[in-house]
Amino acid sequence: MSEFNQENLNSLKKLARIKIPADEESEILSHMEKIVGYVNLLSEVDTDNVQIATHVSQNLNVLREDNIGELLPKETFLANAPDQIGGMIRTPPVLKEPE
Amino acid sequence: MHLLSAFELRKRFENGELKAREIAEHFLARIDKHSKNLGSFLHVLDERALKKADELDLRKSKGEKLGLLAGIPIAIKDNMHIKGEITTCGSKFLTNYRAPFDASVCKFLEDQDAILIGKTNLDEFAMGSSNENSAFFPAKNPWNTECVPGGSSGGSAAAVSARLAPLATGSDTGGSIRQPASFCGIVGYKPTYGRVSRYGLVAFGSSLDQIGPFATCVEDIALIMEAIARPCAHDSTSISHPPESFLENLPTDLKGKRIGVPWKFLEEMDAKALEAFKANIEQLKALGAEIVDVDLSILKYSIAIYYILATAEASTNLARFDGIRYGVRSPNAKALEDIYDFSRDEGFGKEVKKRILLGTHVLSSGYKDAYYKKAQKVRTLIIERYNSIFKECDLISMPVSPFAAFKFGAITDPIQMYLQDIFTVSANLAGLPAISVPAGFDHNKMPVGLQFLAPQMKDKTVIDAAHAFEKSAKIPTMPEAFA
Amino acid sequence: MKKELREKWEAVIGLEIHAQLNTKSKMFSSAPNRFGDEPNTNITEVCTGQPGALPVVNKEAVKKAVAFGLAIGAKISDFTTFDRKSYFYPDSPRNFQITQFENPIVGRGTVFADVDGVKKEFIIEHAHLEDDAGMLKHFSNFAGVDYNRAGAPLIEIVSEPCIHSPQEASAYAKAIKAIVQYIGASDCNMEQGQLRFDANISVRPKGDTTLRNKTEIKNMNSFTFLELAAEAEIERQILLYTENHHKPHTDVIKQGTYRWDSETKSIILMRTKESAADYRYFPEPDLTPIVLSKEYIEKVREELPELPADRFDRYVSELELSAYAASILTLDKTLSDYFEEALKYSSCTKTVCNWITVEFAGKLKDTGNTLFSLGIPAKHIGKLVDLIDKKTITGKIAKSVADDMIKDPKRDPEEIVNSNPDYKPVADTSTIEPLVDQVLSNNPTSIEDYKAGKKKAFAFLVGQVMKLTKGKASPAVVNDLINKKLDS
Repeated sequence: MSEFNQENLNSLKKLARIKIPADEESEILSHMEKIVGYVNLLSEVDTDNVQIATHVSQNLNVLREDNIGELLPKETFLANAPDQIGGMIRTPPVLKEPE
Repeated sequence: MHLLSAFELRKRFENGELKAREIAEHFLARIDKHSKNLGSFLHVLDERALKKADELDLRKSKGEKLGLLAGIPIAIKDNMHIKGEITTCGSKFLTNYRAPFDASVCKFLEDQDAILIGKTNLDEFAMGSSNENSAFFPAKNPWNTECVPGGSSGGSAAAVSARLAPLATGSDTGGSIRQPASFCGIVGYKPTYGRVSRYGLVAFGSSLDQIGPFATCVEDIALIMEAIARPCAHDSTSISHPPESFLENLPTDLKGKRIGVPWKFLEEMDAKALEAFKANIEQLKALGAEIVDVDLSILKYSIAIYYILATAEASTNLARFDGIRYGVRSPNAKALEDIYDFSRDEGFGKEVKKRILLGTHVLSSGYKDAYYKKAQKVRTLIIERYNSIFKECDLISMPVSPFAAFKFGAITDPIQMYLQDIFTVSANLAGLPAISVPAGFDHNKMPVGLQFLAPQMKDKTVIDAAHAFEKSAKIPTMPEAFA
Repeated sequence: MKKELREKWEAVIGLEIHAQLNTKSKMFSSAPNRFGDEPNTNITEVCTGQPGALPVVNKEAVKKAVAFGLAIGAKISDFTTFDRKSYFYPDSPRNFQITQFENPIVGRGTVFADVDGVKKEFIIEHAHLEDDAGMLKHFSNFAGVDYNRAGAPLIEIVSEPCIHSPQEASAYAKAIKAIVQYIGASDCNMEQGQLRFDANISVRPKGDTTLRNKTEIKNMNSFTFLELAAEAEIERQILLYTENHHKPHTDVIKQGTYRWDSETKSIILMRTKESAADYRYFPEPDLTPIVLSKEYIEKVREELPELPADRFDRYVSELELSAYAASILTLDKTLSDYFEEALKYSSCTKTVCNWITVEFAGKLKDTGNTLFSLGIPAKHIGKLVDLIDKKTITGKIAKSVADDMIKDPKRDPEEIVNSNPDYKPVADTSTIEPLVDQVLSNNPTSIEDYKAGKKKAFAFLVGQVMKLTKGKASPAVVNDLINKKLDS
């Protein structure tokens, strides 16, 4: 557990793909410092032999049959699209490769 | 008509005293009159509601058997989908997003012949405790419109409290149903995790979210739960439990019930609030309950755990809002990178951005063990503590919130805002059913709620206890201004 | 690269193979799992990442993964879970993939592959299930995204870094492909990208046991490219180390990710370790753990079909094929199924094998066609061999018949032979007999050899007659006549 700083914020903006306007930066940085400082509280809890609680639901083995269900019609899908062409979602040219 | 409970309303529709059309028109008129001031609705579904009402009247005239909720107008929090209608989640990002499918809850409600009357206001993407984070306008508390209605389901709470609809749905991730219910003097219920399908609820904290009802009385909560507490094949976390009757045998006493109260944990509460709580506990005793002192000191970590886990899950749940497939794409974006960065900057409000950043931080390389994994471990400790308590007790009772509804802008410190949830988040962390039922008023005459919790799947136990308390306490739930 | 230099170094390769499972519906969405349809027509709210949508695991995908695990002798996890892997890209509907990081469904297993005639063992570290991304189509001033493929079920098979040459990599990949095909888990159509390889490559001085920095080459979908890319990268690294031998080796090769460009036949850098992606894996809260019972696993085991290794053994021991021929056939299930279908019409296993893998393969090599693409039924191959075996036609005529079959793939060889008088061997003794007499009188030494016990001499005499008849004489009749004349 550690303190939060500007470097952290810069790297998070990239990871989370959110631009922060200059006039919001200091407020957000200050907020993040506070909240990270607050959650550091957890370091005082002894969790040496404690399991990670990954699921709260008691469900196990929820599987579905390999059947085709109700489709999302192309028109409905594209109706919400900001930009489309030829039935596809249109974006500016993609130069960078996926991560 | 709006002073009637949902249960009563349905009876009168069933026995022919009221037509569905009359009911729909009456509530639509009330919404028209009051909603602007209260900021409770983002969209009013007048055409849809009247169409449904007419259809119900027609089917009734043919002698058809109608559903459990026939004739009852229900408001839907605007983070749940009604197919073909706009779902905004209180965000600028989704101002033009038309739901391509029905949330299972909405489908179940319509299957039971409810009249879906409108989409209610909320904190953006359900992130907040005051409804001040809605991108459009705040919702207001009907008991004092200078005060917040609570959040994130502020619009739904305000709507039911002001009798703009007898029932509403909300979602509760850390208290977002119970706290607004407490602030607005009505009943708000968060079922056991998995009891109500999350399919069609825009996810915030996937392992924490539950959809639940708001009503003016516990009997109405029981009624709507019969319609929505059903298994759903589209949600892997949905519990497949045989149908349970919540309405049957609603008790008026608590004889034989052992109720745990975490006295030590409540020590630091505001003295007046603690007094009021103690008085409530005396009432429980009078109803025959045995009060047991229990240790919930571990809850002091619950906010830290919650803000780590909920934001971690939210940071990924909200990653899909990128301006590519739907939502508002930034008009300033030229290159692909800009589409992401600008759309998310322009579309998300500050609170949402902060939570996404925090969630990303606690999962990122070098921090994941210390934050995310640590929080998951302490979550286990909370679950175990509750399990251990429930070996000795049937229920736990504690306050809903440290204080009643505050004035707009009164809380600016983020930690202080988050700490309000101290009594509510642990029920989400452990997946427990929990309810807020009106318990009185504070020195400013603002409503205060009492909370009951029970083990997973003991939803009926919680509803029963709340019912018994409600019938005995007889707290007024009608804000004068809206009678 | 000079052989001496190359031999001073050892390549260390790990392969990650993605195979698209052939289930009807997708991994977590009930949209059709189909290729080639109009964009965005095989979608649901789940695989297009609509808000409020939730994943549900496809039971059949789990079964295929279990079958794969059993086929490689791996332990099937008794508690398998899913995780979210976060990264932003337009072909990702949620900007996180649902994969398995902590508890993959299949543990450590082994596969054997024939590398230049030597059988080698390779270790698979684990295999897991995940969903595929959509497809990005690049145009000059925009890109189009099609989510038909988004959500398709994938099994990712991760090897240990136990591969030491491009040939081994290719052999290993082919062996994995064969297993996946045989258990019916994937159609492995490589043009459609149903089988893709990522290779992690490093080199080290021979004898060294430490591992040096590796580079990753992603998304190859052909065995040839895999070998070419691997070899290119190995040489590149060796050269760099050699040129920079004064530097610490950790500074020479930086960990990075490349993709193989098939046009320029070179690797192109995507990103370096400094900007390595932080996927922020954490358990998928919307999905439950899967706990498979021993009974279920045994049932899947019972339903396993014949595996490539078993089929190989059967071909060598029962059908008496050479290891080489058996290997060629069994590595491609479609091919060996075809072979077995042809065997229903002729019992000459070696000859049928030869006609499929040598004769027809040779004729079709430069045409870009295959027996399958032409649609020549396996039955016809069997019948062709049967015609030769029954001596209805000679081997030489058969080659012409084969050419005819290629020209018109639907024609039955029997029909071809019957309709072409040149193919029917001349069985008319009166035409053949004078030629037999001619050969016998011209080859007294052969007659003596034959009478001395040299069987080869007989075949020689037959051959001479066949030559005179331009291969048209019925071999049965020629044999008969020569026998009669020599015995008399």
